[in-house]
Amino acid sequence: MNFLPLLGVEFQKIRRSGIFIILFASTVILWIPSIVNSESNFYMQAEGVSPEHNFFIQGFMAMSWFMFPASMVVGTVLVSQTERMNKGILKMLALPVGTVRLCLAKFVVLLVLSAAQVLMMTGMYYIGAAICSVTRDYDFILPPLFVMGKISILFLSAIPMLSFFWMLSVCIQTPIFSIGIGLASIVPSVLVINTKIWFAYPMSYSFFVIVAEYGKLATNLDTAQVEFVPWIPVAVVISMTCLCVSCLCFGRAERR
Amino acid sequence: MRTFSGRRSVLPKCNGVLSGCNGILLEGRKIKRTGFFPAFFGGGILAAAVPIVNMAVRSEMYLGLQGTAIQILMDANWQMMAMLNVLLVVSGACLLYHVEHADGGLQKMRSLPIREGSVFFGKVAVMMLMCVLVLAMEAASVSFCSWHWFKGQAGGGQWRGEGGNMFAIELCKSFGYAFLLILPCVVLSFLIAEACKNMWVSLGIGVVCVFTATMLPTSSFVLSLFPFAMPFQVFAGMEAAWVTRFACAAVVEIVVLGGVERLVVRGKGAFE
Repeated sequence: MNFLPLLGVEFQKIRRSGIFIILFASTVILWIPSIVNSESNFYMQAEGVSPEHNFFIQGFMAMSWFMFPASMVVGTVLVSQTERMNKGILKMLALPVGTVRLCLAKFVVLLVLSAAQVLMMTGMYYIGAAICSVTRDYDFILPPLFVMGKISILFLSAIPMLSFFWMLSVCIQTPIFSIGIGLASIVPSVLVINTKIWFAYPMSYSFFVIVAEYGKLATNLDTAQVEFVPWIPVAVVISMTCLCVSCLCFGRAERR
Repeated sequence: MRTFSGRRSVLPKCNGVLSGCNGILLEGRKIKRTGFFPAFFGGGILAAAVPIVNMAVRSEMYLGLQGTAIQILMDANWQMMAMLNVLLVVSGACLLYHVEHADGGLQKMRSLPIREGSVFFGKVAVMMLMCVLVLAMEAASVSFCSWHWFKGQAGGGQWRGEGGNMFAIELCKSFGYAFLLILPCVVLSFLIAEACKNMWVSLGIGVVCVFTATMLPTSSFVLSLFPFAMPFQVFAGMEAAWVTRFACAAVVEIVVLGGVERLVVRGKGAFE
């Protein structure tokens, strides 16, 4: 079986899961407080950030610190549990499909879920910004190219975290441990981004890059900036290791 | 309640206190091999480590502050500890109902001579015990911090005499209050987990609720009554009138959510 049809099969499996409703609900909840409190964007002189940039970046900061990683944990639960139910995974493993290919197809599903959430977040941002522009009589809408740049950074920086979560859900059969470790690992990222070794902790990447962007936009704020040299190699090593381990472990417990 | 062989019967009868105890025992047996206990134990250790690590890394930020040791420690660390507690409760509730929903366990339970509500309240009781365990670990860590770092200051680290009593009373009050305020969150998580058959749906809704709680403005009393936002309240330093309001609200929420659970069970029984 080629990779693309396999991917199509994986998407059919999650078609009726309702995951997109959950992802969408979280993005709606994200922007409601920002729209209600949009007036506060005009009082950010101390930080030196313009109202439209503040509106954009505050929402993305709130998302990248908890909801984005947490919904990816939910995504891993979805991808792994739909098949454990009624022993679906055994039937898949009985087919003439390579386990590595199957594992990677599921990981791509996870990547698509995270991309979908980032895109929904952006769509809701534009709706929210349009509403605020009308109610506050000020142009909150940022140029699409600028927004595209930021959301692609956010998405790319989340890949190591996704591979780590995927490894957890493949290697740890007990669901509470994979969920618990995943969710618990998100919480300390607030502390980790303030240390020098943030690049060693993949769960903090997306929050770190957004905070760094905030520092760039706010002239009076001095946040740590992204240094590519230790970060990119470490991130690549972490993601490759996690993916290799998950490919090796995939289906091992079922085949025993 | 005992069979001829002297073993406790697995099937509890539908009466009173004994049935309740048996419900808890039954739930305790179900979770034996799910990793539920180790997960809560590990979560408790993690949450208890938060104030210790925070004080070890940057104690100079907190030592000069006004207020008692517990107040300073709770203000500095409780948001993160409460977040860990709530996430533990949400994932634990999902797991406890996942073992029922998988392979139609709940339907089998329904054919037994027990009330369906007793399954729910058995699970809530197990979770309450776990919450007591986790909060006790956190209380131990907070008292260790105040003994180690706030030894010389008022209200911290005195184990004997008047100061020690004051410290013990404040600690008990703080964590007793935290326990009361986490209960609505426990009941609501179980309600979500019972209503949704798939684990990712209940986990997803739970996570979205936690996220909503972090997004709610703390200035509004009505909004901070959202069950998932309640555990983030800190007892130390709060005015007595507010403490009473939150405590009353928590009790009302528990009763209302318990009532909703009865309705959900009836509704599901009618449709399935």
